[in-house]
Amino acid sequence: MKNNAAAGLAAVVSTSALVLSTLAASPASAAGTSGRTLVIDNSFALVTADPGHMFEPTGELVDNALYDTLVTFNGGNFKKVVPDLATSYQVLDGARKYVFHLNPRAKFSDGTAVTSADVVWSLDRMVNLKGNPSFLLAGETIKAAGPETVVMTSAAPNPGLPFILPNPACGVLNEAVVSAHGGTDAANASTKDTAENWLNNNSAGSGPYILKSFSVTSQVVLAANPNYWGPKPAYSTVVLRNTATASVERLDVERGTNEIALDLDPSQTQGMSNVQIIKGASPNLMFLFTNDNPKISKISSNPDFQKAVRYGIDYAGLLQLAGAGAIQAPGIIPSEFVGALPQSARARYDLSAAKSWLKKSGLKNPAIKLTYPTGLTVNGLTFDDAAARVQQYLQQVGINVTLQPQSVQVALNTYRAGTEAMGLWYWGPDYPDPSDYLTFAPGNLVGLRAGWTKSEAPSVAALAAKAATVTGSARDAAFQAYQRALNQVGPFVPLIQPAEVVVGTKGIKNLTSNGLWLVDLRNLG
Amino acid sequence: MSPAGLGRFLARRLGIGAVLVVGITLVAFVLTHIVPADPATANLGQRALGDPAIVKAFNHEYGLDKPVVDQYFIYLWKLLHGNFGISEQSHRPVATDLGQYVPATIELALFAIVISVVVGVGLGVLAAVRRGRPVDSVLRVVSLLGVSMPTFWVALFAFYLFFYKLGWLPSGGRLSPGLQPPKEITGLYTVDALLHGQWSLFVNALQHLILPGIVLGIFTVGTVLRFTRASVLEVINNDYVRAARAKGLPEWTVITRHVMRPALLSIATVAGIAFGGLLSGTVLVEKIYSWPGIGQYAYNSAVNLDLPAIMGVSMVVAVIYILINLAVDVLYSVLDPRIELR
Repeated sequence: MKNNAAAGLAAVVSTSALVLSTLAASPASAAGTSGRTLVIDNSFALVTADPGHMFEPTGELVDNALYDTLVTFNGGNFKKVVPDLATSYQVLDGARKYVFHLNPRAKFSDGTAVTSADVVWSLDRMVNLKGNPSFLLAGETIKAAGPETVVMTSAAPNPGLPFILPNPACGVLNEAVVSAHGGTDAANASTKDTAENWLNNNSAGSGPYILKSFSVTSQVVLAANPNYWGPKPAYSTVVLRNTATASVERLDVERGTNEIALDLDPSQTQGMSNVQIIKGASPNLMFLFTNDNPKISKISSNPDFQKAVRYGIDYAGLLQLAGAGAIQAPGIIPSEFVGALPQSARARYDLSAAKSWLKKSGLKNPAIKLTYPTGLTVNGLTFDDAAARVQQYLQQVGINVTLQPQSVQVALNTYRAGTEAMGLWYWGPDYPDPSDYLTFAPGNLVGLRAGWTKSEAPSVAALAAKAATVTGSARDAAFQAYQRALNQVGPFVPLIQPAEVVVGTKGIKNLTSNGLWLVDLRNLG
Repeated sequence: MSPAGLGRFLARRLGIGAVLVVGITLVAFVLTHIVPADPATANLGQRALGDPAIVKAFNHEYGLDKPVVDQYFIYLWKLLHGNFGISEQSHRPVATDLGQYVPATIELALFAIVISVVVGVGLGVLAAVRRGRPVDSVLRVVSLLGVSMPTFWVALFAFYLFFYKLGWLPSGGRLSPGLQPPKEITGLYTVDALLHGQWSLFVNALQHLILPGIVLGIFTVGTVLRFTRASVLEVINNDYVRAARAKGLPEWTVITRHVMRPALLSIATVAGIAFGGLLSGTVLVEKIYSWPGIGQYAYNSAVNLDLPAIMGVSMVVAVIYILINLAVDVLYSVLDPRIELR
């Protein structure tokens, strides 16, 4: 009898297992779509699809496909802007005035023409929403001068404006449609505009895709825009899937279940075959700073100590940590941007020079705390690993570094307050123009976080002010001079630009990585 | 127990639960405000933070420019009207977010607990009736492995084996890429697909449940198996069981009617606690299987210092535990009428 009971129980268990295995036998693939479907794995950094509020990498990928901007970038080339809605533009009055001429062929997904009024309304709305991207066009006056002409003026020269406008936050919306759903460009838009929810379920742009469904946690589905005025997109459907684990993304692409993985680091691509692996330096800059304010630390503010730190870092060791594709940052401006320093200008590791500068500083066995955001990774490189390496290198110089890991939000507070004696941070570009890096100048936002005031380095401040106003080809030289001075006397030590990796299946054409919107859906074939 | 008595019991327990929830809102609120971090810093970009007008607009939008005590009472007042506030990370009402994430986790946890109870109780009884034999030894090892294997490791291994190598089960998510969820009734895709008669969608949703559900259930299987074995062993040699056997009752009847009934009390307790644990402790499995549930939402809320979302999640978890404990207590009286609900 006991045997019967046991057999009965075993039958229940085995039947359950059989049911499960039957269900598991044939996983269904994506259904309900016709034409070519592209599936992209990405660990979502996504809040909204509304260009007026959006300022996250995944959001840029989505909005770049939904909304046209006046000008844009081709592939990953950030040194030159190319036409999008504007066929051409003129730079006048020392870069205080820009005149954009719209393409008369441009039309929204509902078939109506894109007019200068739509451009003015969209950009004014973005500024007046007072959201994350609003600073992009702060100080710009935007007017229509005829149905196909937009004029942007500012009190101060803004030579970087053409490089700011490709940001998908500057995407142009259909004013009539969005206004009908609560959108407004009024000065009080931050409290009166109610269109975000609608724009998270629908799109009103002129880009190659339209929004089919949007979830910040699971997936975003885009469908080809049937009224697109440019070259027809290669895919009828694009599914962007939120995948929180890079190792899962690797398996998805290797198996061919999904076509593109955006979150692998160089080490995770080792051993992969039958896929395309695009590796390059990301425009994210990892840097170290020693606080220049003696009230914060008499050690870190010592100029000779700062030089000892600069010479004491084994940059090659950091590169090894970051993996193939990473490069040493010769200056604060990433190598892909106008004004970047050549590799020949990079700092050199010289242990004996570091020791002699430390000796010259008069500091005996200096001890200093290094604050960094624990758990944070940039392109797969964790701050914890990088900080441990910095500690190890400076130990060899004779500097005792105590690691002070803090959660990102706590560390951000001390960083912003300028109270860290030594900090390890990164700067991701808000827009791919060197003017974004004037923030490191003495007396500016990041400069002050390192305790660096204008009075400490008036010559560097002057170089920064000059770089902010020069136009055309002279910008390269001006920003390089600013960076060389910053490297010479500044409290910042540019470390590395980690590797940016995009992995795709073999069948995808024109696959490139893009430091702004991760991958360019418009060009994929 | 009479229906009136049961009603009084439920009313009293729910009243106490409501007080508990208010207490939990206070604890969560205080804790989130003790953290030396600023929601504006966590949610605005670095350049936006440099613009006082943007920071002011952010703080005003989320009521962060008011005194902390006022913020708490405003929160409670809104809560009384069913308003959980707006999430700083998703810009949506927290209630909307919770309405999306909680059903996803409930579906996963329900699947896991059903598997766990069926398999755990079955194997536990088998181990008890075969006490000291090889089957018992093997099942004890299985149980030990179940409770001791790290969930993230099991999750990755199972994913590698069943998705990548064998191709039997789909990759993560609740549905295959591109599939649209069924029109929402319960938020549980399998249930909603069935209610709408979308059979293929039901199968697809069920296929996506299998791997994360089983991985999540493995720990609970081990626990339920151990408790079941111990509980059955406690009663299996009692005189009334011997008497039942002596009367010539079939062994299956002896086990199901005379052994399992008293043993079910402790099994119900452990299953109830385990279900609560499954609902609130799914973050790792959700992360690996890209399951958009409450665990990921809680994690992201904490990382982004999204105060309204943290409060919302805290309350949901508290309510879940309160309701589960209540359900287990009621179940006691159903399983054993001698137990009086007070």
